[in-house]
Amino acid sequence: MQTFSYTRAETVEDAVRSVAGAGPRTCFIAGGTTLYDLMKLNLETPNKIVDITGLRDLNHIDAGGHSELVFGALARMSDVAAHPQIADEYPAISESLWRAASQQLRNVATLGGNLLQRTRCVYFRGGEPFACNKRDPGSGCAAQQGNDRGHALLGGSSSCVAVYPGDLAVALVAFDAKIDVLGVTGERTIAVEALHREPGTSPNVETTLKSGELILRVRVPKTTMGRASTYHKIRDRESYAFALASAAVALDMDGDTVRDARIAIGGLATRPWRARAAEQVLAGKTLSQRTARQAGDAALHEAKPGRNNSFRIELGARTVADALMIARQRA
Amino acid sequence: MTSLPYPYTIRVDAEDKVRGKPIYAADDNRPGLLHAALAVSTIAKGRITDIDTQAASAVHGVRLVLTHKTMGAAKSAGFIMGGGYGFQSLQPMLSPAIAYRGQPIALVAAETLEQAVESAHLVRARYAEEPFGVSLDAPGVEVVHQADTPLKNFIPEIASGDADQALSKAPVKIDAVFKAPPQHQNPMELIASVAEWRGNKLTVHEGTQNAEAVRHGVATALGIAPEQVEVISPYLGGGFGQKNSLQMQTLLAAVAARETGRPVKLVVPRATLFHAASFRPESRHHIRLGAERTGKMLAAIHEVDAQTSRHDLFPGEYTATSSRLYGFGSFRGVERLVRTDVQTPGYMRAPFEHPACFAMECCVDELAYSLGQDPVALRLANDTDTDVATGLPFSSRYLAECLKRGAELFGWTRRSMAPRSMRAKDGSAIGWGVAVGAYPGLTTPAVAHLKADEDGCVVISIGGHEMGQGIRTSLANTVSRKLGVLPEKVRAVIGDTRAAPQHLTAGSWGTASAIPAAEDAADAMLMALAEMSPAGIADRTPAEILKAAGRRTLEVEVQRKPPGQPDEILGRLRAGLPSVAGPVYRSHVTFSYIAHFVEVVIEPGTRRIRVPRVVSVADCGRVISPRTAASQVRGGVVWGIGAALRESSEVDPRYGGFLNADLADYVLPVNADIGSIDVEFIDKPDPVFNRSGVKGLGEVAMTGVAPAIANAVFHATGRRLRDLPVRIDHLL
Amino acid sequence: MTADEQAADQAARGESERVDVTLTVNGETRSLAIDPRTSLLDLLREHLALTGAKKGCDHGQCGACTVHLDGRRIVSCLMPAVQTDGRAVKTIEALASPNGELHPMQRAFIDHDALQCGYCTPGQIMAAVACVDEGHAGSTEEIREYMSGNICRCGAYVGVVSAIQDAAAKMRRT
Repeated sequence: MQTFSYTRAETVEDAVRSVAGAGPRTCFIAGGTTLYDLMKLNLETPNKIVDITGLRDLNHIDAGGHSELVFGALARMSDVAAHPQIADEYPAISESLWRAASQQLRNVATLGGNLLQRTRCVYFRGGEPFACNKRDPGSGCAAQQGNDRGHALLGGSSSCVAVYPGDLAVALVAFDAKIDVLGVTGERTIAVEALHREPGTSPNVETTLKSGELILRVRVPKTTMGRASTYHKIRDRESYAFALASAAVALDMDGDTVRDARIAIGGLATRPWRARAAEQVLAGKTLSQRTARQAGDAALHEAKPGRNNSFRIELGARTVADALMIARQRA
Repeated sequence: MTSLPYPYTIRVDAEDKVRGKPIYAADDNRPGLLHAALAVSTIAKGRITDIDTQAASAVHGVRLVLTHKTMGAAKSAGFIMGGGYGFQSLQPMLSPAIAYRGQPIALVAAETLEQAVESAHLVRARYAEEPFGVSLDAPGVEVVHQADTPLKNFIPEIASGDADQALSKAPVKIDAVFKAPPQHQNPMELIASVAEWRGNKLTVHEGTQNAEAVRHGVATALGIAPEQVEVISPYLGGGFGQKNSLQMQTLLAAVAARETGRPVKLVVPRATLFHAASFRPESRHHIRLGAERTGKMLAAIHEVDAQTSRHDLFPGEYTATSSRLYGFGSFRGVERLVRTDVQTPGYMRAPFEHPACFAMECCVDELAYSLGQDPVALRLANDTDTDVATGLPFSSRYLAECLKRGAELFGWTRRSMAPRSMRAKDGSAIGWGVAVGAYPGLTTPAVAHLKADEDGCVVISIGGHEMGQGIRTSLANTVSRKLGVLPEKVRAVIGDTRAAPQHLTAGSWGTASAIPAAEDAADAMLMALAEMSPAGIADRTPAEILKAAGRRTLEVEVQRKPPGQPDEILGRLRAGLPSVAGPVYRSHVTFSYIAHFVEVVIEPGTRRIRVPRVVSVADCGRVISPRTAASQVRGGVVWGIGAALRESSEVDPRYGGFLNADLADYVLPVNADIGSIDVEFIDKPDPVFNRSGVKGLGEVAMTGVAPAIANAVFHATGRRLRDLPVRIDHLL
Repeated sequence: MTADEQAADQAARGESERVDVTLTVNGETRSLAIDPRTSLLDLLREHLALTGAKKGCDHGQCGACTVHLDGRRIVSCLMPAVQTDGRAVKTIEALASPNGELHPMQRAFIDHDALQCGYCTPGQIMAAVACVDEGHAGSTEEIREYMSGNICRCGAYVGVVSAIQDAAAKMRRT
């Protein structure tokens, strides 16, 4: 790890001022479970770090409002997961949190940081000698002709097929959540769905955040669909692992008929992936094993298999289908 | 005394462990310590043409940067399976040659760990690259028939009868190919050395299964006398075969300590470990099994291709165990070694026996189904008291009892034979599978020193290493029973070259080698006590006798060698060389056995495979420490679940080395992967094998788990999956 | 990077600006000037001689370094020590009572032989105590899920689960 200078921000404005305009090697640190990890791998090499964990007014959970759930960017994953109202009324959000990482990490990791978690692609994290356009633009993408069992089937490009590894963002995308960010020019709002970029020709640029912008809070529109929701996550082991495929679904049912469905998938794409085509398949239909499976197929319809990952097209479809049946039980 | 089962005593070092007492090498914090870090090769094969350490040396706090140019006079300590001491013959940083990706090219020693790590990352090397291959089927790899190598002298090919002819005439045949991937031991403790020189004497603190080899190996490498080196390794944070010889980092730490005049601590990071120590080689198994329609097995041919390195021949001993599972009418084993551009593979818990039992026991299940016979009944019908490979009797073999007791505990009679015939309420497929495992009964020589004092303490100094298997508890139980003292009054000094010669602790021979020697020592002490006590020693403790005789202490020393071994074997022991006998002895053959019964549940949709229930019954002779032994079997089952469903070291042929080199991507079982594991022991002593009646346990525990799971998956799905690990990929 | 920046970068190598940190470790206040790169794990092990927490991966992938920070379990390897300023750390060394009496969880780990080599054990026990305190020891399944951040290569998981069930009952009583 390289040396860096370390300062603690006293206010959000102070934090944004310290980072914006200070150059690309200045960054915020909150829980640090991604940043510090990547610094140990020499993949992040900041020369200045601004610690925002002292900004107490960013650490809150407000579930009592009329129209929105509001989570401060510094709310801990474990706290949000265990919040009784979230667990009860928005199980998909709670599950997306407690099915991620371990309790030790969730006790430290923040919502804002979790949204910005970087890929687990082994060729990215492995550093030299692997070619990686995300780490070293122009060097190529080792995954495309390599072991891509865990790589993206959706949203990839010839430059990069690294999966976005987070879980929470997938659930948030299903619920049309937004984030408020603060930059030197003031506050703005971004849909979580618009936060992450597909790699295209510049996989090193992962989000639509501008330099120095700080996530302040996450806002989730309240919906009665929250109760009939789940985050279903399939992994190589039962816990403490990233998704091979996951699905966040929420249902609005009229008896056996689907009035409205929200479906987003994780572990399969380069960014949190809202599956609107799958939602349309279900709208107005009776929810059955068959229609759930049709929705699953629709969610993966555009999937482009690589060398070793085609099984995850079928797995993804079945994950969506199973998630729908789990959510159905909660309607 | 061996006729009585041992009590369920507490693990003697458990309290220190739950308190987190500093007992592992990397816990050492001696004053003046420098921290070391490594830079490693990014190419898979070739030569370093230029190495630039300028930036690395400029880092504040750096006291030394070592490369092959600055290592000074040092040589390889040789390969442990080739008459030397190292996990491979190649000692990194002695030449510019690069044999595999991840090979260390430089060491930095600095005042702080942060400085050392930063500096090591700044070492820059230029290379001339050469073509390479890292897997069994890679172009350019070299295949060697083991029987054409010097290895044939101590690993003879198994051949009994005319297996080819018997197979050709067999009315029922199974012919299948199985694959087992490379895997890494990944004990939780990182390999680490703390090296310190006092004058011309070197002390090494290191978690190792083989303190004597580290001692003699470092001495050889440095060109100094072994008397100048002492190695202290009271505890390992897990070994599993990874730490069974001189590792590459010990010499580097020793040289760095010598050059800086400071103690040096080198802890090898997890990612580096995937290339810095040994691993279980990739292997492929072609099995042909022939039987009568009654189920009697007429012939088995087991051909193995297993990975080795370019620079060493890591032996294959797969068929030595597969040939011992049943009373095959005839058997032929073939072992081929495939030279690839990797560090030399090595021993990882049940190194050969796990893949060999996987292949053979899956075949036996296939045979049971092709005959329409119950898999337990077929196994019982083919049991044998006579070793097919040699014609000698087994010293003890309670495999049938393991199968019968296991079937009873598991409720096997409630199983319906047909695949896909058992379902859970939620539609999940249920599969019940069985398989057996075996492991050779090996023994080494041992020197045991026993000291009793008037305060009631007894100290046994003996060869052995505590890596969690419970050797300290076994020694305490044995000495306690023999001398009539409480187990907590017995202290075992092990893993310490100052105390007694330290033979490699591996191959499940630890207990079978140390316990009889400890009993010999206790007998010698009882005899000495009797001599000093004319009133007799019955019902009196050594302390009472010593006090009565006006003596403060009494010391005895014994040495014990395996049956049929010449006295020279004790010289090999003292020289830190492997001195192993078995499983074939003059009048008998010894193996340990186990039977596993497994339930798998497979989801209807996403096809996740769960293992909610395992029953394991083991024959390891007399159980010396029932509590720790049961834990060892449960651990072996967890390893089997990992091997069957999770673990694989992945390779990218373009880059060499291993790809998934961390604990997030190398998928080890976690708590949520494990259900109930019920363990029982036959607990019948094997007095032919040794006076204590004890056979090995640590590795047999793992053998047979993977095939029991694969057979259960077949029962649940009707699919025969012959490549490990079995994953969702294969069941969708 | 310009040549000047490179030179500045070069000069900075190895020589971090030290940061003053005051934290409570096992009830004792410690004030140190530390390299901001130092992890809490390395601070405990290499600077404060508290070696109970272990390094198994250094990347938050094994749980061997688990300690409590302000009463919650964390992996100390992924916690920059500078971020613990003003906070309270508790390690395995302070789990037993001052008179040396074992915590019920330590006792239960012995009784259920929930360990083998002992290397992951301090992390398992610190995680297990938190697991009970959090209210995540309600069922076998819940314990297994909430203890999955602590890898035990020896495979002592069955013992870990029974030890937690045993200790949880005793912890609730006290």
